[in-house]
Amino acid sequence: MSKKYTDEYEVGYNPRLVMEEAARCLLCHDAPCSLSCPAGTDPAKFIRSVRFRNFKGAAETVRVNNILGAICARVCPTERYCQQGCSRSGIDKPIDIGRIQRFVTDFEDATKMKVLEAKPSVGKKVAVVGSGPSGLSVAANLALSGVEVTIFEKEARAGGYLRNGIPEYRLPNEIVDKEIARIKKLGVKIETSHPVESLDSLKKEFDAVVVAVGMSKGKMLPMFDGKRNVKIAVDFLKMVKRKKGEVKLPDNILVVGGGDVAMDVVTTLKLLGVKQVTDVVYETFEEFKASKKELQGAQEQGVTIIDGYVPVSVKGKTVKFAHRNIQSELKIKADMIILAVGQYTEAAMLGLEVNKKQEVVEDNYKVKDNVFVVGDIAHGEKTVVYGVRSGKEVAALVKKSLGVK
Amino acid sequence: MVKKDLSIKFLGVNFPNPFCLSSSPVGNDYDMCKKAYDVGWGGVVFKTIGPKSYVINEVSPRFDAVTKEAEPFVGFKNMEQIAEHSLEENLRDLARLKKEYPNQVLIASIMGNSEETWEDLARKVTEAGADMIEMNLSCPQMTSHAMGSDVGTNPELCKKYCQAVKRGSKLPMMAKMTPNITDMVPVAKACLEGGADGIAAINTIKSICNIDLDKKIGLPIVNGKSSISGYSGKAVKPVALRFIQQMRVAMPKLEISGIGGIETWEDAAEFILVGARTLQVTTAIMQYGYRIVEDMKNGLMHYMEEQHVNHLEELVGKANKNIIPAEELDRDYIVYPSIDDNKCVGCGRCYISCYDGAHQAMEWNEEKRRPTCNHDKCVGCHLCALVCPVGAISKGEIVLKKTAKPGRNIKDIRL
Ligand SMILES: Cc1cc2nc3c(=O)[nH]c(=O)nc-3n(C[C@H](O)[C@H](O)[C@H](O)COP(=O)(O)OP(=O)(O)OC[C@H]3O[C@@H](n4cnc5c(N)ncnc54)[C@H](O)[C@@H]3O)c2cc1C
Ligand SMILES: Cc1cc2nc3c(=O)[nH]c(=O)nc-3n(C[C@H](O)[C@H](O)[C@H](O)COP(=O)(O)O)c2cc1C
Ligand code: SF4
Ligand code: SF4
Ligand code: SF4
Repeated sequence: MSKKYTDEYEVGYNPRLVMEEAARCLLCHDAPCSLSCPAGTDPAKFIRSVRFRNFKGAAETVRVNNILGAICARVCPTERYCQQGCSRSGIDKPIDIGRIQRFVTDFEDATKMKVLEAKPSVGKKVAVVGSGPSGLSVAANLALSGVEVTIFEKEARAGGYLRNGIPEYRLPNEIVDKEIARIKKLGVKIETSHPVESLDSLKKEFDAVVVAVGMSKGKMLPMFDGKRNVKIAVDFLKMVKRKKGEVKLPDNILVVGGGDVAMDVVTTLKLLGVKQVTDVVYETFEEFKASKKELQGAQEQGVTIIDGYVPVSVKGKTVKFAHRNIQSELKIKADMIILAVGQYTEAAMLGLEVNKKQEVVEDNYKVKDNVFVVGDIAHGEKTVVYGVRSGKEVAALVKKSLGVK
Repeated sequence: MVKKDLSIKFLGVNFPNPFCLSSSPVGNDYDMCKKAYDVGWGGVVFKTIGPKSYVINEVSPRFDAVTKEAEPFVGFKNMEQIAEHSLEENLRDLARLKKEYPNQVLIASIMGNSEETWEDLARKVTEAGADMIEMNLSCPQMTSHAMGSDVGTNPELCKKYCQAVKRGSKLPMMAKMTPNITDMVPVAKACLEGGADGIAAINTIKSICNIDLDKKIGLPIVNGKSSISGYSGKAVKPVALRFIQQMRVAMPKLEISGIGGIETWEDAAEFILVGARTLQVTTAIMQYGYRIVEDMKNGLMHYMEEQHVNHLEELVGKANKNIIPAEELDRDYIVYPSIDDNKCVGCGRCYISCYDGAHQAMEWNEEKRRPTCNHDKCVGCHLCALVCPVGAISKGEIVLKKTAKPGRNIKDIRL
């Protein structure tokens, strides 16, 4: 069956299937799944609620613990987190926790539940720069405690990579819209098309400033710089998502890079009908960075993936590669070249010190008095659920420093 | 987050929520009951305390289970009698629990073997601080015929023992019924005449769950033999609901503590709707732990919200009037199954069941692999809907039978 860019790739559970999956759960003591969810979503508890037919209670557990529960359900690399230590693997395979979480949050939406309620204002104001998952998480968690939060976002629409990076077939914009609407209902104000150029005025106007600008720029490799028909992966994905997949593309495209971003690019290209998609990857398959699920998705779509090669030169439409470990050369001619070789942050423009890992120099998220960083630019893994987690942690630190309960 | 008041009055005692441990090993001692209260149970019926003279000596192993496909237990069998701890230990635990948990309800379950022992136990548990007494007239596997379900099937004895308990204590008291009887009403009535304030139902059903096919012995095997003993868990829920309904019809004001197969908030709601005011649980706790009360409480709150109800009280017995004798049911119409071709996955199970177990009305299109219902043969039994794995069969067209009373209007029929 041919799939479309605009359709969710994975089919959601219906009530019968979610019960079958929940029935596979062993209802563990000290459940490994709950211990290894970065955001503390507590899957063991919400799966148990499903098992005992309390769907609404399950939705409450997800929502109370994870402000982006419906998004995480779709994009978490569960094989590395909650599902990694699942006891059920001792019998056959782990419980599909992400998909159960998706059913539960879809149920929450379908029954129009209103789980969270913000406390009345405590008279403190916090500015958040950037509206990606970490900015949204910190904002929502502060708003719940009665802090007045304003998010400043340079793009026209909020969401960071949720909106502009992760493709529609994995995370529909409709889901992002609904999650953001829930957060706005808690009183969070979002000023879009509002780039922040300096933190100085914000520091004066607000009791604290949280910087959540992420790594929103894609890297260029010098040899490709200025070449026609060379695109940066995250810019390309953003364009496609904004145009809902209505884009014209040549038949033969070369992608360089082997992370999750590269997998999203190649799969997107295939779903958009590009005939020949070739992905050349620096890592060998043993070192592969992308999640197995993403890799599998790409391979199912018929992408040619070549591992272990580095680009050495480019002439016109032809790129020359050399293998990292063996004597081998490769020449690929393509009508378009997309580079997916990593992202970097522009946090330095805000006067913050950035290290080689593209993280801001911080001490437990704190940069200086009442200035904090969160998300991809802070220590920790670069995933949505880590953004949710660091958002919770930073919200607690900000509250403490402002004396808010 | 949903927040609803789950408190309810039962026999004059205020329960913070209706969920209680039923008398069994789940409430064996202080530590267990403490944990249960901490997890959120509204009350505890402590493991049945017997007379000092009656020595408990249990078998090993003592449980078995009925399974079906991948379900580990649908029904559960136990061969346990009453408390193994000494009378002194039990009384001491009761006193300590009441002192530390004054707001949760503590119910002492007792079982005597003579009027004197019933009266004496009632006095002792009252002195220890219990809020309420439950008389265990119903354990089906006592080693003495002067105790347990042999007593509980004899209305005269029940009445006499209730009177004895009432002599020993002024506390509210409920008598716990055995389902090993055709009609529970005469026993319940006798207990009320003897002074019982309410009824608890049901205790376990006499059973043999499985036979070991090689050894030709029932399970569990105790040195090469086995016994008939009590069955509980999800499988007994229908039996419990039926007895409660019958007692509520005979005695509409009767206050009942419902027991038998409660596992989810939906089970709990069903017991409340047939007239239970409090709910007791054992098997589901033995299988899953005290934590199941979290979803039972939360789910019940959501149900109350959906029903626009602020007090549980408002739901008690709401189904009683809708369960009527078979001869009073409307027999004037047939409702035909309606098949949703989009949902149907073409398994043919409706066809098989209709042919082999009903009226050969379901016809099978071999080319399309889809069923159609022939109304000339269909009697509207809806066996097909029950076997359909995807819920593709629902209630469709209603027609009046030729024998229908004149002047009937299809629009008045509620499905
Ligand atoms: C293609 C792609 C696919 C991914 N897939 C997954 C996945 O499946 N699962 C997963 O867990 N993670 C995935 N990730 C990673 C995940 O998206 C990031 O870890 C996460 O978005 C980081 O959140 P953040 O809030 O730190 O930053 P971002 O999401 O990057 O958001 C930063 C926001 O700040 C704004 N901003 C920047 N500078 C300024 C400024 N000066 N003024 C105002 N606003 C500013 C940006 O416009 C942006 O909206 C993916 C990333 C990409 C690129
Ligand atoms: C192992 C076991 C021991 C029990 N012991 C007692 C008891 O001591 N006194 C009593 O009144 N009922 C006893 N029961 C019966 C339960 O309290 C309850 O009435 C019955 O199990 C039905 O409820 P359930 O389906 O929730 O288990 C026991 C049940 C089990 C399974
Ligand atoms: S939030 Fe993500 S990691 Fe946590 S339980 Fe849900 S799917 Fe797993
Ligand atoms: S670890 Fe796996 S089996 Fe155990 S509770 Fe979690 S999901 Fe269920
Ligand atoms: S049982 Fe249900 S799914 Fe199977 S053929 Fe009949 S209608 Fe279709």
